[in-house]
Amino acid sequence: MTATGTPMLRRRALLAAGTGLALAAPAAHAQAYPDRPLTILVPFATGGYNDRLARAMAPFVQKHIGQPVTVMNRPGGGTVLGNTFFLQQPDDGYMVMVHSAGPYIPVSILTRNARYKADDFWMINLPSRDLTLMACATGKPTQSVDEVVASLKRDPRSLSVGLQPASADLINFALFCQAHGIDRSAVRVVTYDGGGPARNAVAGGHVDVGLVGGEGFLPIKDRIRPLLMFTDAKDSEYPDTPILTDHARAAGFEPQFVEGSQRGFVTSKRFVDAQPERYRILLQAIERATKDPECVTTLGGQQLATTWYGPEASNRAYLATAALMERYADLLRSR
Amino acid sequence: MIDTVAFGSAVAMLAGSLDAWLWVVPGLLIGLVFGALPGISVSMAMALVLPATLYMEFLPAIIFLTSVYTGAGFGGSIPAVLINIPGTSSAVATTFDGYPMARAGKHNEALGAALFASCIGVLISYMILLVLVQPLAEVVLRIGPYEMAAIGIWGMVLLGSIGGSSVSKGMFAAGLGILFGTVGMNTAGYMRGDMGIPWLLDGIPTIPAMVGLLAASQLFALVNAKFIVEAEGDRGISLRRILAGGAMVLKNPVTLLRGTAIGVFVGAVPGIGSSIANLLSYGETRRTSADAETFGTGNVKGVIAAESANSSSEGGSMATMLALGIPGGGATAILLAAFAMHNVIGGPRFMEQSRDVVYAIILSNFAQAAVLVVVGTIFVYGASTIVRLPLRYLIPSVLVVSTMGAFAMEGSIAGPITLYVFAVLGWLLSRYGFPVAAVVVGLLLGRLIETEMLRAWQLAGGDLWRVLDYPWALGILGLMVLSLALSLRRDLAKRRALRAAASPG
Repeated sequence: MTATGTPMLRRRALLAAGTGLALAAPAAHAQAYPDRPLTILVPFATGGYNDRLARAMAPFVQKHIGQPVTVMNRPGGGTVLGNTFFLQQPDDGYMVMVHSAGPYIPVSILTRNARYKADDFWMINLPSRDLTLMACATGKPTQSVDEVVASLKRDPRSLSVGLQPASADLINFALFCQAHGIDRSAVRVVTYDGGGPARNAVAGGHVDVGLVGGEGFLPIKDRIRPLLMFTDAKDSEYPDTPILTDHARAAGFEPQFVEGSQRGFVTSKRFVDAQPERYRILLQAIERATKDPECVTTLGGQQLATTWYGPEASNRAYLATAALMERYADLLRSR
Repeated sequence: MIDTVAFGSAVAMLAGSLDAWLWVVPGLLIGLVFGALPGISVSMAMALVLPATLYMEFLPAIIFLTSVYTGAGFGGSIPAVLINIPGTSSAVATTFDGYPMARAGKHNEALGAALFASCIGVLISYMILLVLVQPLAEVVLRIGPYEMAAIGIWGMVLLGSIGGSSVSKGMFAAGLGILFGTVGMNTAGYMRGDMGIPWLLDGIPTIPAMVGLLAASQLFALVNAKFIVEAEGDRGISLRRILAGGAMVLKNPVTLLRGTAIGVFVGAVPGIGSSIANLLSYGETRRTSADAETFGTGNVKGVIAAESANSSSEGGSMATMLALGIPGGGATAILLAAFAMHNVIGGPRFMEQSRDVVYAIILSNFAQAAVLVVVGTIFVYGASTIVRLPLRYLIPSVLVVSTMGAFAMEGSIAGPITLYVFAVLGWLLSRYGFPVAAVVVGLLLGRLIETEMLRAWQLAGGDLWRVLDYPWALGILGLMVLSLALSLRRDLAKRRALRAAASPG
């Protein structure tokens, strides 16, 4: 099992380098861009989903744009530092971000007084969509979401709930409580500064129930009992888990939820307006890389998404999340 | 507990693969160099070599990365001993006694002790991992806010007034450190003390602040000295004395084992890791030692305690990573990323299906610990030459390297600014007799205690009596009170004996 994929990967790298050279030569005559290496900026630390996505995509973007592509991490301040740094760069198309743009950019504006606006950013493609998952440890007595509702309705202090402050998960929990008439201010909400710590707290049974992005739970799927997914369509990773729309119909309320992380390639609106020709080249390279069959297999094996939605759909989804976040801004701020 | 079939195939796997062995020495050396450079953390060193592993087979890639991990774990202690600057945040406690030893001309012994304590720590922690990987991971996952808060408080009580001329000055310094630790966004999303500066959103950058405090307080004190080691005859670099330092480790088995145990358990807790483990181990050793008053002035037991704990944290955090797929810190997060790059998903299923690979990784780490003894000795031999460097060259060089390290760490000017602000503060504090080490301890432990106590409070919904539901936390606090009472009694008895001896008749 140790050898799976590796020799192939090596061959692929050689191939990538070869095609890269072949592509670069004619491109240099046609136009200047890109005539030097590109950087993918990740506003998170190494090892997370965005970092893995950026590093996995880099060789394929390199292959299709004809210049070396490197990954740079600039974590901190709930992506404020990375976002600010990115907007300070010249609009020359040599830097592009891989980002959980929704909800991080709007949330950073609403809760951390960041100086940029949501539409300063332009989505190229957001292939990864994460959903809020309500779950508990397998050792906990809670078996279903209905038990959670009954328990919290009887006494809001009966269960402790782990989540991240200023997150889509918090908004979903607030909407959930509102719909069920549960007094959220009385619930014992325990806050974690990151999805990882929040998931550990759920898996370790520190909290009775947790609401965190479902994708990150996959490696420790055996230790948790998924209770409810905040979505309107069944998820292939959690096929047996009830979804919010069904749950809401049964309980007799209008289903309301916000999407979790929307991750993928992001650039600045300024660059798109100032350099339409360069933007077209960059967009084309990322689209070809994303649709590259080798890329699809490689990333699929690493549980990374490669769906192509394109800028139009991606921006629509992102701006919809930003608008929803703004609508529920007071939920994010009042704790 | 050991699956013999899988064990056999792990041995065969390692024996049959030259590739796997080829990467151990380069990995250790890369780790040593990066670990020794102030400002480059263990996880940064691993992130730097990560792209190279993409083109290796799975097992050699993981062995290469864990070699860097092991090397960097020890590398941090070299500048800690020689120039009082911890190369990584896990070597803070190493400075407390390592540097005084170096100044007294015992740099060979201090580095030898650090090296052997590290190697044996790694070795024991992986042995524990080999036998107990699953139960260890289970225990660690259960450690929640109450237990962590208790551990943090214990550390604070042990080290709060470290190195001070008076208890009140020590407590002031520790309080200052805790306040610095609370700057930035807390776990509930509230901003405190960021003064509108975006760089402070995540708090004061710990490593530049720490380097500034520790380096400045010592380097300015060296203004009149010509060399770190005053006596010319002591400036030698001797293999015999490095090995003698190693022998001191074997003469203090209790210190070593306690450090290792603390490292394995505390280091394994996700998000806590070796930077807390080495402080706790140092504090515990100091408390239980009969010669507690010599700690901070060059007691080799302090070095052994700190180094055995920070290196055995590696085995602990590997347990949670292998058995649960949960990264305990930056280093294991990068290992998991390397797993993913080879289409291997860490976690329970990986443990079941590829037990042989897990054993191969563990066995290779035994070998790494052994190889580190040799590679580390050679490295230390070379690195020690800086005691022969006149301070008028050394101090500016250290400041330049620290500044670059601070820049690399933060990726912006915020790092160097933090370094200089805290350097000035460190100089002022030591000028007026406040223990700088206590500020660093407060900075490192303050944030942990605050975060975990806040979560404990949230879990309890404000009900104090809920703490009774957490017997382990109560147990830790109970032990703490008991041990403090015992040391107090011992101190009082000692003082009475002294008074009796002093008064005639």
